[in-house]
Amino acid sequence: MKVSVKAFATFREVMDMQLALDVLEGSTIRTLLAELTGRYNGLNELMFASPGTLRDFVNILKNGRNIHFLAGLDTPLDDGDLITLFPPAAGG
Amino acid sequence: MVGQPKNERFLRQIPLIGEDGQEKLANARVLIAGAGGLGSAIATYLAAVGVGYIRIVDEDTVEDSNLNRQILYHEQDIGTCKVEAAKKTIRALNHDVEVDAICRHIDEMTVREFVRGTDLILDGMDNFAARYILNRAGIDEKIPFIHGAVNGFYGQVTTIIPGITPCLRCIVPNPPTWKRSLIIGVTCGVIGSIEAAEAIKYLTGTGEILKNRLLLWDGLRGDAESIQIVSSKDCIDCGCLTNEQDIRRFRL
Repeated sequence: MKVSVKAFATFREVMDMQLALDVLEGSTIRTLLAELTGRYNGLNELMFASPGTLRDFVNILKNGRNIHFLAGLDTPLDDGDLITLFPPAAGG
Repeated sequence: MVGQPKNERFLRQIPLIGEDGQEKLANARVLIAGAGGLGSAIATYLAAVGVGYIRIVDEDTVEDSNLNRQILYHEQDIGTCKVEAAKKTIRALNHDVEVDAICRHIDEMTVREFVRGTDLILDGMDNFAARYILNRAGIDEKIPFIHGAVNGFYGQVTTIIPGITPCLRCIVPNPPTWKRSLIIGVTCGVIGSIEAAEAIKYLTGTGEILKNRLLLWDGLRGDAESIQIVSSKDCIDCGCLTNEQDIRRFRL
């Protein structure tokens, strides 16, 4: 199945702004991030504080809904999903 | 010139928002929470467009390091209370604006008195802890909250309508921390101007506000994109709201 990924702000400094990926049935956000961190140098350090723990500024939306309110990294992917990687700005 | 009829000043914008829209702006009461880089751009454009009442809240004094982005202030203001200096600048631009300058801290104890009696809350804060307080106060008092924030050349904006759209916690459930806080004036100008545009559109019923959408600005690449965002019934701040009453209240 196919999913689209869009990356914003500082994530764009290490990865493409957007890409389409073929993923296996049963894939999750966790397996998607493993694929992406394998593909892009520096993304793992940028996203993860320690293995399996995202940094606090890493927000991931599945079709606009934060995975915090789904199953976190274990949120399953569905065909046609848009996954947004978004580090919110906090200054003013 | 002081005393010039207002329809002269606003001649070139009235076709965009209508005479009634201009009247709505004159009767509008807005809270600008924070008088920094974002607050400077927001206050300048809302005063220029003819918003009648601006309450601006910030407890800080003007420092030299603010002047790369906080365009309400000038070198002679260094050391003075930001909101008092802001009031002078705003009134010099448009003396018809009533400015309520409040030099106090925004926290859970004080936020209600600041938001009450306003039609709209505009985000000029510099941290998420304060933004969550405004987000919650907006939900509880049923006042829309225009969120904006900046980081370096990046920024984001969304317009939160209680009970209708996702709230700030739906989009960003946990406060992000950044090792370095980098900030450049042009990004405050872009994001603050978009927030002011959202306010004008909401108050006058013009165009489409950033409702259920998050606009992400990338100044390094000259790129802006808005993505759909979805609320969560499990959100600790807005999850219990009922939609129908609020849809009627905000006539959306």
